[in-house]
This record gives sequence, structure tokens and C-alpha cells, in this order.
Amino acid sequence: MAPSSGEAFPDLVLRDHAGSERSLSDLVAGDPTVVQTYRGWWCPKEQAFLRKLVVLQDEMEVAYTRIVSISIDPPAVTAAFRAGLGARWTFLCDPDRVAQQQLGLLETTDTVYRPYVPAVFTLFPDLTVHRAYDGYWFWGRPTLAELRQDMRAITRAVRPDWAAPTPSPSVVDPGAERHEGETP
Amino acid sequence: MSLSWHWLALVDERPDDATAAAPVHGADGAPAGFLAIWARRAKPLPAARRIDARLLDREGAEACISLVRPPPGVRLLFDDLAVQHARRAVLAALPLDAVTTLLSDASHFEGSLTVARGDGVARLADDPFARIFPARLLRVGAGVVGRLAAPAGPVIERYGSAQPWPQDRFAVAR
Repeated sequence: MAPSSGEAFPDLVLRDHAGSERSLSDLVAGDPTVVQTYRGWWCPKEQAFLRKLVVLQDEMEVAYTRIVSISIDPPAVTAAFRAGLGARWTFLCDPDRVAQQQLGLLETTDTVYRPYVPAVFTLFPDLTVHRAYDGYWFWGRPTLAELRQDMRAITRAVRPDWAAPTPSPSVVDPGAERHEGETP
Repeated sequence: MSLSWHWLALVDERPDDATAAAPVHGADGAPAGFLAIWARRAKPLPAARRIDARLLDREGAEACISLVRPPPGVRLLFDDLAVQHARRAVLAALPLDAVTTLLSDASHFEGSLTVARGDGVARLADDPFARIFPARLLRVGAGVVGRLAAPAGPVIERYGSAQPWPQDRFAVAR
């Protein structure tokens, strides 16, 4: 069974689109993360959904949040698909379907490709699942608005300085130099 | 806690106090000094710049590098759109052995160092940071720079303004 809300997502170790072995925990590295499984490059529904994630990456890239995509496609195919999409996050490859079995995400209705069930998980930095979305039917997938809400909820929960640190009125120095670059 | 950045400089003489150093040669084979890294908090030389600490590898093999540096007197904000786009271009491409931006303070882009070996060497000529400032293609001896896991992406921001990108996590939970 795929992990559901409140459960631990397994710390998968798979090759990435460049062929290097990566662990999910190292890719997450302390940030809220969207993990997405998809059928493969050939599926129009996956192409449509990944194009939405490409739009979202313009926000994710400045928000200390990450995306990881997983399929059964091998690295060379995955790298070509990723480049065509214009995606700048890591894609993981599971051509031996080891992680697919571990996650219980074999799409049994497709006996030709035996792909992943399309699914989306929003994760806390410790890989605990915040929300799980079953994308077998396209409308089961999260909208970008829902992903933004999930990223906000996780970020609020894990960043101790979610409420902006501001000086108390008694210590405000109007002449003090602002320390640049510390805005999250 | 280990340091998240080290100091790097290209110098004429091998520094006695560097953590690692190796001779550097230009594309024509001519000596071009020494690439040195210092693993310490205090700045060792005025010309030294911060790098992602993970680049240091005293077991690292000989490598080709693209060293991008601003011309004398030129300064560019790290948040400049050109620097943002260069970071995106790095993430979009297949990874090379290692990359780091160079910093001297919390605000300015002071160049970059990209490391390649094998088939990746030819791609150094397309270093995205070389679209911003001039790049020198050099060969550095063994014992200085290693191979890093590629940046996870899509984050292009620094994890604290003092951290050279792509150092990829906050030093403490926040």
C-alpha cells in the first residue's frame, strides 16, 4: 500500500536522470517536497501534469521547496523527457520496478508498460506524508493551488521563523544597516 | 558542525597554509599558478573567495575547470537576473562533476568554479556562468577538487546569504 497522510514515505535509493545513485532523503535535504510518480514519457496525462509542475517550479525554486519525480523510464529516456519539459528538478528512475513494488504503486490495468500509478505526495523534511493524492484519474491529482497550500502548511510547521523575526519597538534603531540577503 | 563553505584562490605560489593545493595549467599547457583551498573560517588572502565546502577533496582526481571571475573593479549582485538564469541553466543541463559559485560577501556574485572530467570536459565551453563574466578553462592537478552529487533542484536560492550556491541546506533547522 502506498503511504498515506501521517505515514513515513520510504527513503528510496534510485538512479537519477543522469545515472547517479541518489537517496530521497538527500534530495529532500530539510525542505518541504513534492514527490510525484508518473506513468512515463508517452502518457498525455503525464505530459499535461508535468507541464503544470514546470509552471510551479518558478515558485518552488525561490521558496526552499523541492520536487522529485519518479517513473520506470531509464535515465537516458528520463533525461530527454526532462530536458524537453524544461524541468530543473531531479527525476528518479526505477526501471527494475523495485521502488514501485515497495510503494505498492504498480498500475495493474496497464499490462503492457506496467507503469507507476500516477500519485503525488507532499512530504515533510523527515519524509512524513502530509497529503497523498491518487492520480489514476486525472482529476485526482492536486491542483497547483492545493500544492501551494500543502507547501505553505509544511513550511509553517517546520520553519521556526515562519513568523518574521522583527525587532521589538524598544530596540529599533532607525539608523541600523539592514543585513542583506537573509530573507527566506 | 562542519563548515559549509571554504576559501578558494588561484595564486602564483603554492601556499604553505592551504588545506589543499595543486598546480594549474592553461589550455596551451602553460603553467597558470596553483589552485588552493583553505578549510577554515578566517579569510586567508584578500583574493580568496568562498566556495561550497563540499568541493574540497584531497583524493580528487586531476580535472578540467572553468573558472569565472569578474573583471577588476566590476561587481554584480548575486540576485541579478543574469545570475539567476545561469543557475537555472546549470540545473536544466546534465550535471558535471561539481559546481560552486564564488562569494566575498552576502550580496555579490564573484564568479564560479565548474569541474569536469571525461566526457564532461567538452561541455565546460558552455558554462552558463561564462555568459556573465569571462571564464578561464584550466587543468588542475589531483588532490583539490572532487565530484559532488548534482544539485537536487529546482532551488536557485542560497540557504543563507553567506552560503555559496548550490550548498543545499540550512545549517540549522529553520
